[in-house]
Amino acid sequence: MGGPQEQAKRLLRWYPRAWRARYGEEFTELLTADLAERPRSAARTADVIRGGIVARLTDAGLCGCMPQAPELARVHARAGLASLSCCAAVFLGVGGAIWSQLVIGWQWSAPGTAGTAVATFAMTGTILVLALLALLAALPVAWTVATRLARGPARRLAAASALFLAGLAVMIVGGRHFGNGWPGTGGHPWARTGLVPGGVAAFSWASTLSVSSFWAHPAALAAFPAAELTWMALSPIALACLVAGAATAVRRAELSPALLRFEGRLAAVACVTMAVFLGAGCAWLAGRTAPPGSLFHPGAIDVAGLAVMALALGVACQAARQSRRAPV
Amino acid sequence: MSADKALDGFGRYAGPATLILASLADGAKHGYALTKDIESFAGVRVAPGTLYEALARLQAQGLIEAVESHDRRRPYRLTEVGAATLQAQLDAQRRVADIGLRRLAQGWGLA
Repeated sequence: MGGPQEQAKRLLRWYPRAWRARYGEEFTELLTADLAERPRSAARTADVIRGGIVARLTDAGLCGCMPQAPELARVHARAGLASLSCCAAVFLGVGGAIWSQLVIGWQWSAPGTAGTAVATFAMTGTILVLALLALLAALPVAWTVATRLARGPARRLAAASALFLAGLAVMIVGGRHFGNGWPGTGGHPWARTGLVPGGVAAFSWASTLSVSSFWAHPAALAAFPAAELTWMALSPIALACLVAGAATAVRRAELSPALLRFEGRLAAVACVTMAVFLGAGCAWLAGRTAPPGSLFHPGAIDVAGLAVMALALGVACQAARQSRRAPV
Repeated sequence: MSADKALDGFGRYAGPATLILASLADGAKHGYALTKDIESFAGVRVAPGTLYEALARLQAQGLIEAVESHDRRRPYRLTEVGAATLQAQLDAQRRVADIGLRRLAQGWGLA
């Protein structure tokens, strides 16, 4: 249990590091005094936990009053953009798995129903737009980070960049390696009927191989080649490194107000585009016209995937809203 | 931002924020002193998490500022914008109180 000071220090852990650095000492003093007066209070514990969660959401640029000081507003905007990039990565990770299933199915034969065809067209278009937006968003940030690193040592920014590059390298190498080994996805001369180039479909499929219902079927999973199993376990870690590195770099790089406004506009467009993708996915799910066993037939993993995407989109919209509202 | 709109984004923290501003109106106070003062004049004990959430928001909005201190308990004081905001907030509350009391007197005969 410990004395009031130990209890106060334990409760303080609910708050993010930046908040603790700013308010930790004085908040511990207040908590210690309060604990000495009222040793047991579930309401106080709940209040501190709730406050800690709100502080963490504020630190992530997802809620809170807009700071009036431009310096703090820029920090808030960058935090919102970093959160948005994490949500977009989750959205694209799951959405990419669904999309690659459909476009790989199309490599073999076009879908039998207009609904599935339209949904796949819409998802393909939105994936293209999202890829373009990601490129437009990433290039100026990468330039800012590179120029900052070229000016002199910036250890934390360099570490974030290294993490991003390592994750990116693993995803590209692994995606290429496992994509090329899958029949019907571009490595064969007869795979020419697809909606997108077979190599693109194969890369997307291999990159999102871990989003699989096979996790729920250990017996079937045991029959997979060891290398493929390793990749299924490794690729989410590599993707997490890539996203964490990118988000941390966005938070730590001194992005100019003009760039923050530009990124905020891209974020808003990205949210609308993701909503269209999600709508197309839901339409495909609601149609359920393909026979079971066909790659166009949605399964439980797709239902769960769309639910995760809806959640990621909701948080992304909140992050984009906060980021755009910040008076940078 | 106009003073009467300054607490618009505070949501559930508008109440604690007004209490904190009112407490700071007679001078700088640290967290514990704020809690005790608010308890004495309003009969409300603001819980530590709520108090610091409101303090962080008020500081971000420039309505209060931290006073340099070597003590572990950092005091806060009202800024000019904070004083104007408190004035606007209390004026609005007084208008509501005046109307409510007048209607009680007219409709229920309560003074």
